[in-house]
Amino acid sequence: MKRIFKDLTPSGIFNMTTFLDKVLFLLLIALTIASFFFVKRFIQPGSLVRIMSDNKTVYVLNLNEDTAVSVKTPLGENVIEIKDKMVHMKEASCQNKLCVHQGWIDRGAIVCLPNKVIVSVGGGGGDSKKYDAISR
Amino acid sequence: MMQYQDSSEPKTPETFHIALLSAYAVGVHGIESLIPMPIPWLKIGLANIITLTTLLLYGLKAGMTVTLIRVFIGSLFGGTFLGPAFVLSIGGGVASTLVMWASRNLFGRLLSPVGVSLLGAMTHNISQLFLAYLFFVRRIEAIMLISPVIIMLGAITGAFNGIITTLIINRIKEHRENQK
Repeated sequence: MKRIFKDLTPSGIFNMTTFLDKVLFLLLIALTIASFFFVKRFIQPGSLVRIMSDNKTVYVLNLNEDTAVSVKTPLGENVIEIKDKMVHMKEASCQNKLCVHQGWIDRGAIVCLPNKVIVSVGGGGGDSKKYDAISR
Repeated sequence: MMQYQDSSEPKTPETFHIALLSAYAVGVHGIESLIPMPIPWLKIGLANIITLTTLLLYGLKAGMTVTLIRVFIGSLFGGTFLGPAFVLSIGGGVASTLVMWASRNLFGRLLSPVGVSLLGAMTHNISQLFLAYLFFVRRIEAIMLISPVIIMLGAITGAFNGIITTLIINRIKEHRENQK
């Protein structure tokens, strides 16, 4: 038992490993640190703005690009604006204008119930992924 | 150990050693699942200590035997046989055993068991990520997000397992020399 503790000192571990071992270990740690930055950049464009009218997707926009679109439905018209990575309902033809009053969002959704228009933000996923996980 | 030797079926002591090492691997695998971990899917991969020891002392065939026995019996005991965890377990186990054997033959004495264990841990994690993407997750951004964490944890647990393996192999070699 005493010998195990003697071998597990830093110098013991240093002696049992080769030069290539140490290079490999440091390389992996460096790769990890580098990939934290890389992943952040990779994830960024994943934020999509999806505009649905009457349960059909009419627009899929990138949250990082400033733009404004108009959605015309038989029930009315909505104007959605994207600016500075935020979305808002600029104009709506409906009565109560709850969606306009909701203001700017960068996640979640804006719903205009009278016109059946839904603006949702977030996720890079497509229609195929409806569940986080399925347990069998 | 030797008292079980049956005269009708001649067996070398090596076969017994591999059977015993397989049993150790199953045991370690089982005990490991009882150790509480901060992240549910995080495993130290202690059973890899046994696989690596077998691989370095008895070669690829023995190492692969121990890995396969560990995965099959371990999953039968754990109740994950033929489930998603089983697919990941067998894929990672076989791939890492092959890579550890190859790296030992390629680099020889340049890599100690610690380096071989590091490569094995990386292969295990990367092949599991690949299989998880292929069969279960299908979301590249989720895989990319988790991979730095997995690489770092693999480096730490791989180094730990390698150090323990070095200690075990040194003791076994000492013991063999004393017996001569």
